[in-house]
Amino acid sequence: MPLKGIRTVTAARNGVGAFILQCKRLDFHYCDWAGSSRGMVSFLKHSLPAFAKENPQIEIRVSPRPHKHPVIKGHYINGREKAVCVRNLEPEQILQKANLLKEASGEKLKRTKKPVTSINESVRGIWSPYHGDLRTI
Amino acid sequence: MRTSLRQVNLDVIRLQGSRFLYVCSVCRQEARPRPFVARQFLRNASDATPITERVRRKLWGTDNPPGLKDPYGGEGVFEKKFKRGQSAPQEDESAEVTRAAGTENAVVEDALPEETPYEPATTWEGLQRVGHLGRWSDLPPSEADAYNSFSSNRRLTKLGHVSLAAHQTAVELCLMHLLKKPLTSICDVAEHEKPVFKLIWNCKIQPKSNTEWDSALVYPDKETEDALIYIFEQIGGAQQAAPEANAAAEDAEAAELEDTQDRDSAQEPRSIPFFGYKYAKDRGFLALSLNDPVTKFAFLKRFSQLTGQYFPDPILHSISSVGQVIDHIKTELKPKPKKLADHLVGDDSLQSLPNVKVFVKKQKPWHKDEELGRKKLIDAELRERGLVE
Repeated sequence: MPLKGIRTVTAARNGVGAFILQCKRLDFHYCDWAGSSRGMVSFLKHSLPAFAKENPQIEIRVSPRPHKHPVIKGHYINGREKAVCVRNLEPEQILQKANLLKEASGEKLKRTKKPVTSINESVRGIWSPYHGDLRTI
Repeated sequence: MRTSLRQVNLDVIRLQGSRFLYVCSVCRQEARPRPFVARQFLRNASDATPITERVRRKLWGTDNPPGLKDPYGGEGVFEKKFKRGQSAPQEDESAEVTRAAGTENAVVEDALPEETPYEPATTWEGLQRVGHLGRWSDLPPSEADAYNSFSSNRRLTKLGHVSLAAHQTAVELCLMHLLKKPLTSICDVAEHEKPVFKLIWNCKIQPKSNTEWDSALVYPDKETEDALIYIFEQIGGAQQAAPEANAAAEDAEAAELEDTQDRDSAQEPRSIPFFGYKYAKDRGFLALSLNDPVTKFAFLKRFSQLTGQYFPDPILHSISSVGQVIDHIKTELKPKPKKLADHLVGDDSLQSLPNVKVFVKKQKPWHKDEELGRKKLIDAELRERGLVE
């Protein structure tokens, strides 16, 4: 029976065929009393309905966190969380932060050291000691 | 002189029992009974005089040293006092007995006091108090110690009630001005009866000039004027305005009604401020001036008494009319800022979105447990281990 190699098929890539947003939930925490929440309160009052309407796939929770700075917390489908403190920020800046969290993958931030990165495997293949010419010593 | 080692050994073994076979020599010496301490007292066992007495005799050089018979011991102060207390009635009774003995010998034996054995007290009840220093705090409370608040201890927060209080104060002070009475004496009457209050409520204030308080009052009719002047003449005078006297000004029926109301109000404190009146009918009192310091003081004192609202010094200084008083109270009574959660819950555009959830309360870790369905399990486990009740 002839052996058949495994056929290479297209690997699943997010965005090829379907795009699944990695962010599943955004929590908005604010304080009614503290001044650092002024921008957040304004954002929640005026900008949140539009933001929530634009992103129906993200669950949005708003809850008070008394006597603490305002925070946006993103929950991702890989199980990770990302929190951004938005103290003393203007509503526009808070919207930027919310978009940042929305678009994030949920992975830890990594420093790119090499100029080129690829997810394709090398054309040359991996070196093996059992293949190729056996040289006599 | 030491006993022989053999004897010591035996002593030690006898002392400690047969559990330990070997005991070192130091321990043996330590464990030896030392009779010489007791011997001090045993030496003259036949002699009854204790060592302290013998030392005392030696110090004085005589067998009868001066001073107390037993200066180092004996009965305590309380025991002596108790004995004295017991012996005194005994003496009295024995005197009586001897007096009675002259007349009738048969009664003597019956009249002898019964021997009451001493019983130590187990509780403090019934015992004489010791340590009273005669200070104020030690004395029982007197009438002067009772505290009666100047105001009614009730802070009125509705603007209608505040304006009612200001109107009432203005009318009262106008009357006091008119009658040339000391203005602050109106505070002696904490609150009026309902018919009197109704008369005051019906009055209007139309200040002709800002400074004139005595001519600003406008009565609805002549009857009201007479009644109010009659009532206020008694305030601040020699005799206080009794509620019955107030009512006498009205008529006999009103007097009866008032009397019953007075009794009712004495029995239970009034719950509705200003007898259910919601607002002042007249707004003319707002224009009255408070530039005169005496009038200003009297007005603010009476107003504070009626409303329970007090004024800080800088505000006191800046107030120059009744309208400003009301303005200050308005700023004080400003409603609390609405919580954002309430605002968001009431926002239809946000509530109509299915992906938005607004929480009124802070979300705690147990909320997460509840959401994930593990709260009951955690709770049950904690209860099983006895960590929560």
